[in-house]
Amino acid sequence: MHNKHIRRIYMIPYALWITLFVITPIILVGYYSFFDIEGNLSIVNYQKFFTPVYLKMTLSSFWYAFLITLISLIIAYPTAFFLTKTKHKQLWLLLIIVPSWVNLLLKAYAFIGIFGKYGPTNYFLEWIGIGTKQILFTDFSFIFVAVYIFIPFMILPIFNALNELSPSFIDAANDLGASRWATFRRVIFPLTLDGVKTGCQIVFIPALSLFMLTRLIAGNRVITLGTAIEQHFLVTQDWGMGATIAVFLMLIMFIFMILTGKDV
Amino acid sequence: MENTTIIEFHHVKKKYDDDIVLDDVTFEMERGKFYTLLGPSGCGKTTILRLIAGFTEATSGEIFLDGKKVNTIPANKRKVNTVFQDYALFPHLNVFENIAFGLRMKKMKQAQIEVKVKEALQFVNLAGYENREIEQMSGGQRQRVAIARAIVNEPDVILLDEPLSALDLKLRTQMQYELRELQKRLGITFVFVTHDQEEALAMSDEIFVINEGKIQQSGTPIDIYDEPINRFVADFIGESNIVQGKMIQDFLVSFVGQTFNCVDQGMKPNEAVEIVIRPEDLEITPTEKGKLKVEIQSVLFRGVHYEINAIDDAGNNWLIHTTKKVIIGEKIGLSFTAESIHVMRHDETEEEFDKRLGAYMEGESNA
Ligand SMILES: Nc1ncnc2c1ncn2[C@@H]1O[C@H](COP(=O)(O)OP(=O)(O)O)[C@@H](O)[C@H]1O
Ligand SMILES: [Mg+2]
Repeated sequence: MHNKHIRRIYMIPYALWITLFVITPIILVGYYSFFDIEGNLSIVNYQKFFTPVYLKMTLSSFWYAFLITLISLIIAYPTAFFLTKTKHKQLWLLLIIVPSWVNLLLKAYAFIGIFGKYGPTNYFLEWIGIGTKQILFTDFSFIFVAVYIFIPFMILPIFNALNELSPSFIDAANDLGASRWATFRRVIFPLTLDGVKTGCQIVFIPALSLFMLTRLIAGNRVITLGTAIEQHFLVTQDWGMGATIAVFLMLIMFIFMILTGKDV
Repeated sequence: MENTTIIEFHHVKKKYDDDIVLDDVTFEMERGKFYTLLGPSGCGKTTILRLIAGFTEATSGEIFLDGKKVNTIPANKRKVNTVFQDYALFPHLNVFENIAFGLRMKKMKQAQIEVKVKEALQFVNLAGYENREIEQMSGGQRQRVAIARAIVNEPDVILLDEPLSALDLKLRTQMQYELRELQKRLGITFVFVTHDQEEALAMSDEIFVINEGKIQQSGTPIDIYDEPINRFVADFIGESNIVQGKMIQDFLVSFVGQTFNCVDQGMKPNEAVEIVIRPEDLEITPTEKGKLKVEIQSVLFRGVHYEINAIDDAGNNWLIHTTKKVIIGEKIGLSFTAESIHVMRHDETEEEFDKRLGAYMEGESNA
């Protein structure tokens, strides 16, 4: 009995935090989504969301987030795999994680320099005879930079899963006649799937609502739901529409979390 | 024609960095027998299994399986299956799929897989458990699944790394019987690893006693128990009284200041030796009839017998197993036969030991 009381007391800061910074904002966002630009109660924002402009935007957000997640995964899995085989694996892991501590904007500006018309990339292309190309403000540069930014978050959970995998499972597979590839496909990958799911969640969800990069690197050629929300709140001042998009974004994230849930 | 020798190690050495884990290990194992590698933790038992299975490579020396040199043949190409110490059952697969794993790797037809898995489950008394998840199985059941997963592949050799160490005493004794039965029915060579000498004595056709990366002695359980080659083996296998002594001449040995008749021969006159007498070979007599006179220090009741610790006038400790009841502080006599005195030479190799024993056997049959 006594213990239960103490536990309740410990719960108070946590409950306060959740209420103030998680539940209240969500309710507020939901609330604002029912007001049109003049401040009248209406569902016009929801009707607007189902017009081709916004549906296309949703689809394109999805598509880019999907590409970013997929490419990150394809690069991160083998990287994590080889990391676990190296001698000083924790050190190598740290080296990969460190760039993620640098501010995102700084990294974006760095890439503007690297990919710019007079940057080193184009200088190199010129030198090998291909000639200067427009790299900045393309899909390629957007995805490249986004993958660069997200990849440590994909590597970390996969590395942990691989690192915790008992080597006797691999011996057992080998013992039962499995080739290297069969061992990977039948044993290693399924047993590290939780790490992969976590990595996909950590990358896909923020990738869905990226907005600074879309302007800085993709030059607003890529318009995602994140960009749209930013525009509505800061430029058009249509808070209702911005909130409505946010509601859908949250719904999508929620569904994605359930789909990649660990116990599914 | 089939080779009778299924596994052969020829001067195998294994180093990790500069650590010598196996030092010049040479042995042969015959098809269809139950072998046990017995030794204390860290002596290299698992390393020997890993070399047979192909999970690790020998630093030098040759390993043969069924007459073929296999040093560079990978584990997945060897007709050997392992029952791992931690079972290593795949947690994402159910019982059926765990057992079917090896057969699927061989691309066997589904219908045939089903027949084989069912048969293997029957062999280990787990019929009907096909669809269970691994985490729903108890320790003993997991053990059986691990065995079924190995035998279903019909390998030449099954390696078992301390498979019973995680089970409670009752289950362990039961599994000892079952494993031995299973091995006889299947006729597959079993190489069983344990650090439990009773388990080794109860189960094996032949035991390899290992210490510090070297095979100390190999032989049937009775050979090893009755004629330990050195102090380590005598101490490790069963309980023993070990005292320093001197071989006066053939069949005559002196220890604790007295001279006794014995059945050993072939040593140099007055060679320093060690004497082993098993606690159950010591018989309690009245003081005046005993060959040794001792005072009882402690008595422990062990269920079947009493374990008595006694001390002689020279200060040597004697461990005695008896069903007679005695009192602490009492003076008793100890008697033993010439046959129960085992004489061990210092630093005798197994080869020299076998030769000496062989000569002695010949002498006996000529007489
Ligand atoms: N991968 C390894 N790297 C370094 N040393 C090892 C490795 N595997 C085993 N050893 C060492 O080899 C010795 C024998 O180990 P092992 O064969 O597992 O002993 P046992 O199974 O008899 O307990 C131990 O001292 C152990 O520390
Ligand atoms: Mg071991």
